Amino acid sequence: MGEPAVIFDRVWKKFRRGERHDSLRDLFPSLVRRMVRRQPSGDLADQEFWALQDVSFEASRGEALGIIGPNGAGKSTSLKLLTKILRPTRGHCHVNGRVGAVIEVAAGFHPDLTGRENVFLQGAIMGMKRTEIARRLDEIVDFSGISAFIDTPVKRYSSGMQARLGFSVAAHLEPDVLFIDEVLSVGDMSFQQKCLERMRENVRAGVTLVFVSHNLQAVAALCKRALVCGRGRLLFDGPTEQALTVYLQAAQTTSARGGTDQPHFRLLNAAFKTRDGRVCHTLRPHTECQLTAEIECLIDAEDFCIGIELERTRDLLYCYGTSSEELGMPLRVSRSGERIKISIDFTAHLARGHYRINLNVRQPRVGRFLLFAESAADFVIEEHETYDGVVDIAPRIAMSTETAKTEYVQPATIA
Amino acid sequence: MSTVEWGYRSAGQRLADDVREMLREQRDYRELLYQMTRRDLMLRYKQTVMGFGWAIFMPLVNTVVFSIIFTRVAPLDVGMPYPLFAFCGLLTWNFSASAFRFAMISLTTNTSLVTKVYFPREIFPLSAVLVALVDFAVGSVGVIALMAYYRVTPTWTLLALPVIVLVHVMFTASLCLLLAMANLFYRDVKYIFEVVVTVWMFATAVLYPVASLSNRFGLLLQLNPMTPIIEGYRSVLMRGSLPDPVSFGVAATMSAVLLVTCWVAFHRAEFQFAENV
Repeated sequence: MGEPAVIFDRVWKKFRRGERHDSLRDLFPSLVRRMVRRQPSGDLADQEFWALQDVSFEASRGEALGIIGPNGAGKSTSLKLLTKILRPTRGHCHVNGRVGAVIEVAAGFHPDLTGRENVFLQGAIMGMKRTEIARRLDEIVDFSGISAFIDTPVKRYSSGMQARLGFSVAAHLEPDVLFIDEVLSVGDMSFQQKCLERMRENVRAGVTLVFVSHNLQAVAALCKRALVCGRGRLLFDGPTEQALTVYLQAAQTTSARGGTDQPHFRLLNAAFKTRDGRVCHTLRPHTECQLTAEIECLIDAEDFCIGIELERTRDLLYCYGTSSEELGMPLRVSRSGERIKISIDFTAHLARGHYRINLNVRQPRVGRFLLFAESAADFVIEEHETYDGVVDIAPRIAMSTETAKTEYVQPATIA
Repeated sequence: MSTVEWGYRSAGQRLADDVREMLREQRDYRELLYQMTRRDLMLRYKQTVMGFGWAIFMPLVNTVVFSIIFTRVAPLDVGMPYPLFAFCGLLTWNFSASAFRFAMISLTTNTSLVTKVYFPREIFPLSAVLVALVDFAVGSVGVIALMAYYRVTPTWTLLALPVIVLVHVMFTASLCLLLAMANLFYRDVKYIFEVVVTVWMFATAVLYPVASLSNRFGLLLQLNPMTPIIEGYRSVLMRGSLPDPVSFGVAATMSAVLLVTCWVAFHRAEFQFAENV
């Protein structure tokens, strides 16, 4: 293995909120202030905040590392530090080898230059020789699938086309370390698949990949290990599957959703397993599952029902929702202190992806939520057959060939 | 490498380390410097009809205007045909002035590159210098044409021309680095510069010898390296003599010191650019 390809060692990064002095008028007061009191780098002045606090991780050669976390968690800042765009306030970070980075779609592109000219410019930014770029040009253009427009100025490209070209350049110019920051979201489905495949190939060939994305499915497909960031700190570093759980739980506790003015119930526990009793997180389509939960009544409640919502976590696509009332069960009444055991059986007729179940208690007559437990359970459906979609309809395709018996007759021309 | 080396280093050692790093970066990224220069040249002339013709045309128009003033309205003896004197002065002055102008805004107009991609930031102002240098080379065809017209033949002193170009480029590049950096932090610089450059031009031997001004502003005029540089061009090309060793020597030394100072300052401030642009 040798030396790690990416080292991030107790890194702190400070940023300033709001405007900085941009005019000479403000220069002299600020210079005087700076001279009068020397501020140690460990303290926060007015309007400053830590974007990263004591973050350490390493990635070894040929490893694919995912970074997930909510907006503002410090993911992009980490990548900018690694690519030397920013410098840490404290600690140090280091990358061994040539870096290919896509921090933002087509950041290095100049709108007035053609696609071809931009490929050379981008390659030069990555520190490559012209001959090396020329050698790979055909491959890059082929991969991007926009060969018809390669001599058109980039300003006429759609954002999808720019993303295609940007990714193609970064992935084909033989980097040692590849940083990808949420760029796949722009491309269409087939291109995303192609990118994932390309990144996988790169990793197999020994390229170190650091992949920042909100597309949890892609992270799960690509990376064995993932980091979870939150508010500038590293919350978790380990296997991707566990990382996803940590991330979703963190999202649940900070969620602003749930229209309960005053929760009448409290979720005590929830468990998810398959019907045959296995507690597991990754399932095949059509697995029979069971969600059990226990809730406690805090305030007397009447005329309520239990509801569930099934969502795909990648995009919060609302896949299915129902309630005990809709299934024909009578509304219930409960006194404070009572505990209710709930068990919900269902079959996961779902295509691949990461899903979660939100559990709620609501009063359908007044339209009020008494409990909203976001992500009471979550699971991953794993399969490689479907192309796209949410529902697994378990199709069977039959084909037979017959020779046409009727001859094709030229329709008579109507005078 | 972004490894921060802790521990004590003397100022001299730090300077040596920085210079070594600066040179290594320029070597590693020479391809990019070429591509950026090419990009700027292509962009500049992409939608123009005259293309590089502008590089000759602009100083030519000014030459005609000032030739009328200084041969008809207020005749001036400059020791050579006035149009030759003025064109040479304007062309060499324009090289510096246009490099300054482009370099100054080079970081702020490339915000997306500065905040999203890493490479040595010197590339921006330095490619502005190279772009201006290409224009300068094209424009010098005009000097050759005028010299042929006035039957001025250069002598062996032409051999000193590369030295003068070198000093000129060094001086221009050092101010380009300084201006690019200053304008990134304080946008006022752009406006102040426009005023300064106008006054500066008339305090330099671009359109007339400045000897007549030297009584009142003596020291200030002597410290202006642009005058010995421009006079140096005229000496080796048209007068057949070497530049004045004292004033040109001072200008050359000043340019070299300035280049190292500005470059090191730029290099040390570089990592703050992305946060302040």
